[in-house]
Amino acid sequence: MQKHVATIAIFAGIILLVLCAQFHILDQYYISVLMFMGVNVILASSLNLVNGYMGEFSCGHGGFMCVGAYVSSICTVLMFSKNHILGAPLLPPQFAFIGFPLALVAGSAASSVAGLVVAIPSFKTRGDYLAIITLAANYIVISAINNMEIIGGPRGFMGMSATERAMQSMLDIPWVLIFVLLGTVFTVWLLRRFVSSTLGKGVPAICQDEIAAEIMSVDTNRMKLIAFMLSSGLAGLAGGLYAQVLGYVNPQSFDIMRSTEVMVMVYLGGMGSLSGAAIAAILYTVLMEALRFLDVWKWVVIPLLLILLMQFRPEGIMGNKELSDLFPKLRKYYSFK
Amino acid sequence: MNTLLEVKNLKVRYGNIEALHGISFDVKEGEIVTLIGANGAGKSTTLMSICRLPPPEAPRVTEGDILYKGQSLLNMPPHKVVSDLDMALVPEGRRIFGNLTVEENLKLATYARTDGHEAIHRDYERVYQLFPRLAERKKQRSESLSGGEQQMLALGRAIMTKCGFLMLDEPSMGLAPLLMYDMFRTLRELNQSGLTILLIEQNANLALRFAHRGYVLDTGEIVAHGTSEELLADPEVKKAYLGG
Repeated sequence: MQKHVATIAIFAGIILLVLCAQFHILDQYYISVLMFMGVNVILASSLNLVNGYMGEFSCGHGGFMCVGAYVSSICTVLMFSKNHILGAPLLPPQFAFIGFPLALVAGSAASSVAGLVVAIPSFKTRGDYLAIITLAANYIVISAINNMEIIGGPRGFMGMSATERAMQSMLDIPWVLIFVLLGTVFTVWLLRRFVSSTLGKGVPAICQDEIAAEIMSVDTNRMKLIAFMLSSGLAGLAGGLYAQVLGYVNPQSFDIMRSTEVMVMVYLGGMGSLSGAAIAAILYTVLMEALRFLDVWKWVVIPLLLILLMQFRPEGIMGNKELSDLFPKLRKYYSFK
Repeated sequence: MNTLLEVKNLKVRYGNIEALHGISFDVKEGEIVTLIGANGAGKSTTLMSICRLPPPEAPRVTEGDILYKGQSLLNMPPHKVVSDLDMALVPEGRRIFGNLTVEENLKLATYARTDGHEAIHRDYERVYQLFPRLAERKKQRSESLSGGEQQMLALGRAIMTKCGFLMLDEPSMGLAPLLMYDMFRTLRELNQSGLTILLIEQNANLALRFAHRGYVLDTGEIVAHGTSEELLADPEVKKAYLGG
């Protein structure tokens, strides 16, 4: 029973937040900040798998997010809204509950495939070279979408809010918030299970010593492929949710700035720490909002904070420790099984 | 006794330089065989070629063959050699995963095993029984272990991959004499329970006292071989490797 305390607490927290949104205890602004937090947690913890646990340097996470955002947006628009190019909705609004998660899965699958395409040439390279490959992939994705008139090109793509309306016409509760929170919990749970499994131990082993990993029977190429696909697939999930939160996507919002932001979150939290990535993502989102009054000066203060952090705590907030390493008593209250 | 490993006329190059000029040797089931020789004789190259390891400057096998139970290893990636055949390597300098705990290091070694929980559990018990120190330090990060304990972990890890044929590259390196003798005593116990061992060692005296048979490698060629007693008594070997 004690083992389930954390699980129950998390779901109680989700219900509480949903109730707050439902009865307008928290206004729309706080709810949207909350949703961005969730998206950022997914992004940071998934990038952490490659950049933290595996010790590679991927800096094109925004590109994978973009693939996921566009693919799942196109799926939802195709299914539930009227679009002058894609035509009338294919499915009646009652199916939105099934259709939306399926669209998210489709988006994640598409970005996993994009991850696969990037992972294969990266087998022979590490460090700087992988950084260049992923950077290039990010640019390729952005410029490909910029040049696709059918999905709006640089003007962006919209119409996703019809899905939310469809779901709310059935039952009027904040569906997008629920999906974002569930997606976040799912991501953290999945990654935690992955890195603590025997299979997942191959990831830190590659980080430490690739040759030693080989003689421990780890198929390092396959392992890299799995880690890369998992990471980019989850970035795609974040993209799909992000698109639904905003109801609008354009390619510029997934450019190198976005990738940098995610990297900042990972290094802020500490490489190879899942709780670190989550904490840093939340902190970063809060900081971005709290410093809004500074206007452009925000971009002086935040980098300055980063420089100070790197000076005084170069390993990030959590180093490579988890919350449960710092507070061993927490272990009594959860199990990931 | 069946021949387990057979190396036939192996020639290996690093770029333009030939490191092994056609060496042949074999290891039979249940034996302890040692390859001895000075620095740069090609001992580690031989092991790397057997395991297909890709060092920065990959050694290229240009001629000859390596057979394990009659099957050629030349076109196998290293992880297959470990997972599909029952071979294991304790590499030079141990190369344990310092960022993982002792337990996680052992767990990782079971990565590709498919013979079920029970067999894996038995091997854990066996490793902890052989090295009680590792059991005490289960939850510690392995970078915090002492040199001797790290060597125990490297050996334990090799056992966890389910091995019947163990290759060791300079296991005595950096160990205090007492620990070294302990290590060799454990290896002998493992051998008596059925493990075949190929040992690569600079400390020829120690290696020959431990092994059944030996090969002497000098600048990429095998210059002498025989049983340990023969080699220990051989005046040439004595002069070159045993210090008079």
